[in-house]
Amino acid sequence: MLTELDYSAIILTFKLAGLTTLILLIISPPLAWWLARSRFVLRPFIEALVALPLVLPPTVLGFYLLISFSPDNFIGGFWLSLTGDTLAFSFVGLLIASVIYSLPFVVQPLQSAFVNLDKDYLEVAATLGFNPIETFYKVVFPMVLPSFIIAGALGFAHTVGEFGVVLMIGGNIPGETQLLSIALFDHVETLQYQQAHLLSFGLLAFSMTLLVLIYGVLKKRQQRMIHA
Amino acid sequence: MLKFDLKKSAQHKPLFHFQGQVELQGVCAVFGDSGAGKTSFLRVLAGLDNSFCGALEWRGKTWQDNATFIKTEKRHIGMVFQEPRLFPHLDALGNLKLATKKAKNSLYTITELAELLDFEPLINKKIQQLSGGQKQRIAIARAILTGPDLLLMDEPMSSLDQHSRQLLLPFIKKLSKKIPIIYITHSMQEVFYLSQTMILMNQGEIESIGCPQSLFLNLDLSLAKHNHSGLMVNVQAVHWDDEFSVLHGLIDQQAVFVAMEKPLILKDIQIKIESKDVILATQKLEFSSLQNCLRVRIEQIEQLPTSSVLLTLNTGNQKILAKITIKSLNELRLAVGQNVFAYIKAMSISALDS
Repeated sequence: MLTELDYSAIILTFKLAGLTTLILLIISPPLAWWLARSRFVLRPFIEALVALPLVLPPTVLGFYLLISFSPDNFIGGFWLSLTGDTLAFSFVGLLIASVIYSLPFVVQPLQSAFVNLDKDYLEVAATLGFNPIETFYKVVFPMVLPSFIIAGALGFAHTVGEFGVVLMIGGNIPGETQLLSIALFDHVETLQYQQAHLLSFGLLAFSMTLLVLIYGVLKKRQQRMIHA
Repeated sequence: MLKFDLKKSAQHKPLFHFQGQVELQGVCAVFGDSGAGKTSFLRVLAGLDNSFCGALEWRGKTWQDNATFIKTEKRHIGMVFQEPRLFPHLDALGNLKLATKKAKNSLYTITELAELLDFEPLINKKIQQLSGGQKQRIAIARAILTGPDLLLMDEPMSSLDQHSRQLLLPFIKKLSKKIPIIYITHSMQEVFYLSQTMILMNQGEIESIGCPQSLFLNLDLSLAKHNHSGLMVNVQAVHWDDEFSVLHGLIDQQAVFVAMEKPLILKDIQIKIESKDVILATQKLEFSSLQNCLRVRIEQIEQLPTSSVLLTLNTGNQKILAKITIKSLNELRLAVGQNVFAYIKAMSISALDS
């Protein structure tokens, strides 16, 4: 059966994924909006930077984060002077890494929803007297709500499944940085296959359910909403 | 008063130049060929297009000049686009309610408009379940609910069914007594039915501003060369003959028959008489199938580039045009000031249909 440590790993994983998703749902909409609408020359560069975690081996990202989290470097040093803690091998360090790592999974569905959103509706909103902020809350957000849910779900699921980055910067501290995927790895290493099976199947079932929901319900719903 | 002097060029070539001023009362029709710049004109008035430079002033307030650009949402305008553009994630009522959020003082409530524009049964329906005409009626209601100072309408009738048209045109006319309306249309019938003022657009510029009938009569304008050589006249309805499906009416006290599919509720109707459908005779014709004969006076004879002439004929208070060949003109020895009989070959209408 699952051990105490397994449960704490599961709880920690969901806590990390939840917080990551929350942060991403705050920073991604403006970024995605900008990427969808801007004609700024450096836009492709920023877009590539956001998409980088999709193609880069997670260990590469983890390695660079580990370096920058070091107290000798600016970010790590700043954090140390601010809180007295190191960023590497801490939960906050993991959170920052997860936000970067899962960013494209949240930005891209939103960006594509914003691109597909007909500019005509924004014009109508302006003729109804709404300024851009009101237009976003009253028209854009409700129209692309399914895409927000898709973006959040993908960000959450992707964070739950992260391994490489965690291994590089998180280490394996129970209750602080020991996540589900690391706990699973530990079980396999120590030949505890029964627990490995339980954790693996749990993760598989969770991810599958989420993806079926996304592709089966939400995507269709979004299509219907945008193309009336 | 709306004053404008707005320019847009692309690659050093002027694309549009809208210059003029117009006292907005009732409906001001914007008429012109496709591509003449009608929609661009409306969009720059609405503030939806900021690529123009120049000045724009409405009721003494600057909407646009070199230093100022008042955004659409601050102009207190209502806009009806060519397509309904209802928000697909809301039902009909949701769309209408959204419009009231920023409204200061709307002339009508949602319930009143639902009754006037006949969409009460549709109010809780999803947008996807509505027909084009139904959507457009709701879109018009939505624009009115914002309580605008000025209503801009871009061919709102172009995709509408007969029922919606019959319902909307009298309503728009009535509404324009309270809110000035700028109304783009391709239909002469709509121009004559609705408007007292017309802005004529041609090749990206405003060619002329004036009363519709005088613009259509002015042979120097682009209207003349575009087969618009037929005029709208007012027919006063007298009675409906069910047996033959004709309306007995009067044009300047002269009896006419208008073939129609069904009787009209409207008292006066506007009907277009095509200049090629008018036959002139110096004596009454007998034994012919021509039903409609008007006594007219020749007011003007205009030579056309083809071997034909365009005659302006006065029926009393109104004018019609007749296009005949030079040969006929010479053989009949027609001259300005002469009284002749004008026979109209076809006088059938489908009310306000274009």
